[in-house]
Amino acid sequence: MKKFITSLLCTLCLISTSALAEVVVVVGASNGNSLSGSDVSRIFLGKLKKFGDGSSVIPVNLASGSDVRAAFEKNALGKSSSQIKAYWSKQVFSGKGKPPKELGSDADVINFVSSNPGAIGYIDAGSVNDSVKVVATF
Amino acid sequence: MKAKLSALAIATLMSTSAMAVDIQWNGFASIVAGQTLSSGESVYGFNDDISFDSGSLIAIQASSDLGNGLGVTAQILSKGDDDWDPEFAWAYVSYDFTDSFRMLVGRQRAPFYMYSDFLDVSYAYPWITPPEGVYSLPFDTFDGVGFIYNASIGEFDTTTHFTYGGNNNGTQIAGEDVEPDFKDIMALSVTLNREWLTLRAAYAVAESTIPISSIEALAAGWSQTPFADIGDAIRVFEDDGEFLELGFQIDYNDWIVVGEYTEIDTGDTFLNNDDSYYLMVGKRVNSVTYHITYGADSADPLNATEGVPVGVDPALDFLVANTNAATASQAEDTTFLTVGARWDFHDSAAVKFEYTDFSDDLDSQSDAGLLRMAIVTVF
Repeated sequence: MKKFITSLLCTLCLISTSALAEVVVVVGASNGNSLSGSDVSRIFLGKLKKFGDGSSVIPVNLASGSDVRAAFEKNALGKSSSQIKAYWSKQVFSGKGKPPKELGSDADVINFVSSNPGAIGYIDAGSVNDSVKVVATF
Repeated sequence: MKAKLSALAIATLMSTSAMAVDIQWNGFASIVAGQTLSSGESVYGFNDDISFDSGSLIAIQASSDLGNGLGVTAQILSKGDDDWDPEFAWAYVSYDFTDSFRMLVGRQRAPFYMYSDFLDVSYAYPWITPPEGVYSLPFDTFDGVGFIYNASIGEFDTTTHFTYGGNNNGTQIAGEDVEPDFKDIMALSVTLNREWLTLRAAYAVAESTIPISSIEALAAGWSQTPFADIGDAIRVFEDDGEFLELGFQIDYNDWIVVGEYTEIDTGDTFLNNDDSYYLMVGKRVNSVTYHITYGADSADPLNATEGVPVGVDPALDFLVANTNAATASQAEDTTFLTVGARWDFHDSAAVKFEYTDFSDDLDSQSDAGLLRMAIVTVF
């Protein structure tokens, strides 16, 4: 019984952890642009292609199926993963656009964002380091 | 011209693969099972025998980014309704002048309706297919050139899509296999989007020639009489057709409301002017979307034989009777009510159930109840 309660508690902890996990949107440390929540959403839906200073935006996704990506899509884009998939299938099969490139891990995103001016990605808040700058939190 | 453009797209694609540039493969499929509920009923290509091919389709798309704004894409679509014969739904070379201005040259979809661009991608919308009663133009692709321009106007993201081209693919019109020729198809659509609201308008014109054998025979008959202009009027020969669409979409929290209104004006040909609309309300509950759609489709018959004396000449009477029968056959006054659900049971696949009550106010014998189920996927 005690074991059961412990495992139940652990499960609950896990659930609440994943529900509370903060997702941060990051750009390169030298990127001086500020972004509103709506800008972030439009960038990741392919509707906004330039920063305020006129430079091109290169958004990157985490791999589909990732918890951080699901949280980002829900909180920043306001859509479920299947709604996002439906959105991009409209674009892909009609020659209008293609989804952001996918990277495998938070570390890959940090690497890409810190070495490509104009790159923007999202990671778990716990993964942030000095090479990137947080522009929004969801 | 058309063959050249498609050949160009394919040749470019092939040379691309020869240079070992990355080709991105995507695809989508719908497997649809459907059956009308009472014996003798048929609607939208289904009857009282269960069918697995009507509405079913599979498509594979290959696209490659050649660099410097140039890209090439081919999409091969195979439909159960066409005996699974594969055909190119899209085959184009694209060029980006800027981030927000793209040109497509080759085979592509004409932007007639709100869902035209991804007409067959069932994963992208709640229904199994967009409402058949409204999505009724005889063709959906063309060969030519398209321009897509995106701009932000105030708080709205706008997309302007202009296309010019032609289409002479065989199709079925008025129940007959025909080889039509649509020339100078010009279409313009404008879409405005802001957060949960999307507004759309489209306008298109085309010079249409549709040689339907029974109508051509009637026209030949009329040409032997003093009323040759009746024959010229009813046949569809280099007639200017017009199309208008207005649509909106609201996607607010878990509610979706979609509506479209269309007008088809075929001039004074025996094909009548057609008005149609639908309104859909849907609600998402976790991974299930419930929806209900009501729509109507109406067309008034052309009165082509007014002024022709009746009972004077049996040959004239014969022509009048057959012409009136042909125009009357195009009259339409139907409504449909569809209730359905979409369940996103998998990351890239959904199951859909739909029941449609189809009602024909001109001929209650054509009333039908249709039950459909589908598995749809993108990959």
